[in-house]
Amino acid sequence: MTDAPRDHLKILAPRSMRPKFDYLHREVQDLAGTPMSRRAALGLGGLAILAAACGGSTNAGGGGNGASQPADALKGKPMEDQLVIYNWSEYDDPSTYKKFAQLPDEAAAGLKTHETYYSSNDELLAKLHAGGTGYDIVVPSQNAVGELIQEGGLMKLDFNLIPNIKNLDPKFRKSSFDQTGEYHVIKDFGITMFFYQNTVVKPSTEPKTMKDFYDLLVPNVSKGRTNVLDGAEEVVPLAAMALGYSANTADQGELDDTQKFLLSIRKGVTTVSSFGYINDASAGKIILSQGWNGDVRRILKARKKQGDITAVLPNEKSEVWADSWCIPATAPHPVAAHAWINFLLEPTTAVTEMNYHSYPIPIPAALDQMPADFKNDPLFNVPASYTDNYEYILNPNPQLVNARTKIYQQFKAA
Amino acid sequence: MAAVAAAVKPTKKRRSFAPKYPAWLTLPSLLYYGIFFLGPMAILAVFSVSLQSGFGSVEYTFDTGQFAQVNDSLYISVFERTLLMAATGSLVTIAVGYPLAYWMARYLSTYKMLALLLVIVPFWTSFLIRTYALKIILDSHGYLAQDLGIDILYTKYAVGVGLVYNYLPLFILPVFASLERMDWTLIEAATDLGARPLTAFKDITLRLTLPGVVTGGLLVFIPMCGEYIIPNILGGGKFEFVGNIIGDTFGDAQNWPFGSALSISLMAALSVFVVIYIMFATREEQFGA
Repeated sequence: MTDAPRDHLKILAPRSMRPKFDYLHREVQDLAGTPMSRRAALGLGGLAILAAACGGSTNAGGGGNGASQPADALKGKPMEDQLVIYNWSEYDDPSTYKKFAQLPDEAAAGLKTHETYYSSNDELLAKLHAGGTGYDIVVPSQNAVGELIQEGGLMKLDFNLIPNIKNLDPKFRKSSFDQTGEYHVIKDFGITMFFYQNTVVKPSTEPKTMKDFYDLLVPNVSKGRTNVLDGAEEVVPLAAMALGYSANTADQGELDDTQKFLLSIRKGVTTVSSFGYINDASAGKIILSQGWNGDVRRILKARKKQGDITAVLPNEKSEVWADSWCIPATAPHPVAAHAWINFLLEPTTAVTEMNYHSYPIPIPAALDQMPADFKNDPLFNVPASYTDNYEYILNPNPQLVNARTKIYQQFKAA
Repeated sequence: MAAVAAAVKPTKKRRSFAPKYPAWLTLPSLLYYGIFFLGPMAILAVFSVSLQSGFGSVEYTFDTGQFAQVNDSLYISVFERTLLMAATGSLVTIAVGYPLAYWMARYLSTYKMLALLLVIVPFWTSFLIRTYALKIILDSHGYLAQDLGIDILYTKYAVGVGLVYNYLPLFILPVFASLERMDWTLIEAATDLGARPLTAFKDITLRLTLPGVVTGGLLVFIPMCGEYIIPNILGGGKFEFVGNIIGDTFGDAQNWPFGSALSISLMAALSVFVVIYIMFATREEQFGA
């Protein structure tokens, strides 16, 4: 970890911008009757970042470097009276905040929780890159965690202050995006799968892999709307994995193959969208689509009466994603932040949380307490026999992300 | 201002025609303009000649490499598509808007203001909501698709419909104003002198309102070129305008220098049309159509 070069320009986004976009977005979604999925970033995300860049001012400091800090620097420090969380919207049960503030230490300190929201990792990263400080807790996805660690943007966690880490499945302590496991505690995770309307799409052999999904696109697109998940970091790595390559391949030959493959299935794609597909599929308007497991679960429930949705957990490679609790290097209230993470690792808290957002938290004691319709549902409790083959999609370096974006743009513009 | 004041002084008249308000009163407006328009533009210009260093951060330098990257078949084709779509959209807007404005200006009297109000009313609703509403109308399960067989959602035709629909009022208003100011007795005179209606329209009405049509057309053409939401929502996220490419570059790639270079390139391409606009706008002022 080195200090960020001095000539880096940090752009400060006007804070007032985000809630307005969010508000508008939510209003529109409500009006359109489209519930937002947890990862549902409206295309407006990019717009918000543009607006942020345009309203920028420079901030030479910021950033900071969490790596050099000793791991027990917080020992004996008192609880602060504030906790500022920057999170995806509607991602935690409202009662969790209340219960947290009522814990003995927190109540004694008169702790108050403040929360603001973002709708995409790009937005979170733009805010933190711009030297956005004042956040104690952020919830980046795996690729953003890796990126933030590389940049020295995260604080090394002091696990003396997080004794409940013992509750977490040890398999989830370390990961490809945080190999020492010192910077993140997993919040929840999910996978990318696909589904089809079995009354319309009638494959000759049962589709089993992500490659099978792509192969169904072209022959079926004339029968109705087909959809693939949006974003350069979804479109390109998912296709690469379908071809058997690593999600994060930087090999030029493999990237070229992926591009060719994507262009070959392009005419089979009606929409490239990650939001609104829950609602549209629930209304029977999508015949074939990729989707995240929690969302597909909701679609299956909504179509229970018709029973016309076949959901497929892919064999072989697919995406596993994870959102994690992290503390920015510049967090003003690190003790409270650690206490928050510790509280969320409490099995009872995890049960409440899982009932709220429907994504699994890898805490065995909590998973055991979940109702049977969660626990026994492979779309919630995805068997390890599947996830063992899945990969995290990461942003290893700007060059690869640029290359991915260009393939993605070629795919969309074709 | 100084020259005017100097010219007025020697006459020794007590009454002055010099501006009554001091020039510094424009300072707030200039400041606003400087901070919120020129400032971001300057940042964009600086970014566009910088280099990407790491994610979402910029290394200051002077390098035109970003612009060389814009000259790529992918981006050129997206630029062409954007300009073509916007040009077609503008022409359709003219074809739909001109007759409506003509009818309103010439044949309506009591209900003229009501008609104008109806044209403006959609503007009271958010642009985004109107686009979503259009999505419902164009949906393949909707009446248009089921009963009339017009199933165009998520195609370029849907994007075209969205463009025309959303920008139509912006065209109707200036053309209506231009037609309102027309002296219709000229048409009567022409017909009296034996001109057929079509000739009278072509030689008088059209000629006098042409600057209004061109300004109105460019007024919709330019924002259409910068459109982001309509292609995204109605094109199903797979019909890229330059705006979407810029969005992906800032968002997905976190490559601010290249995104800035794309933005500046778009502005450069559009400035040609802005020059045409300014030429016609001044001509309209001269002739006062």
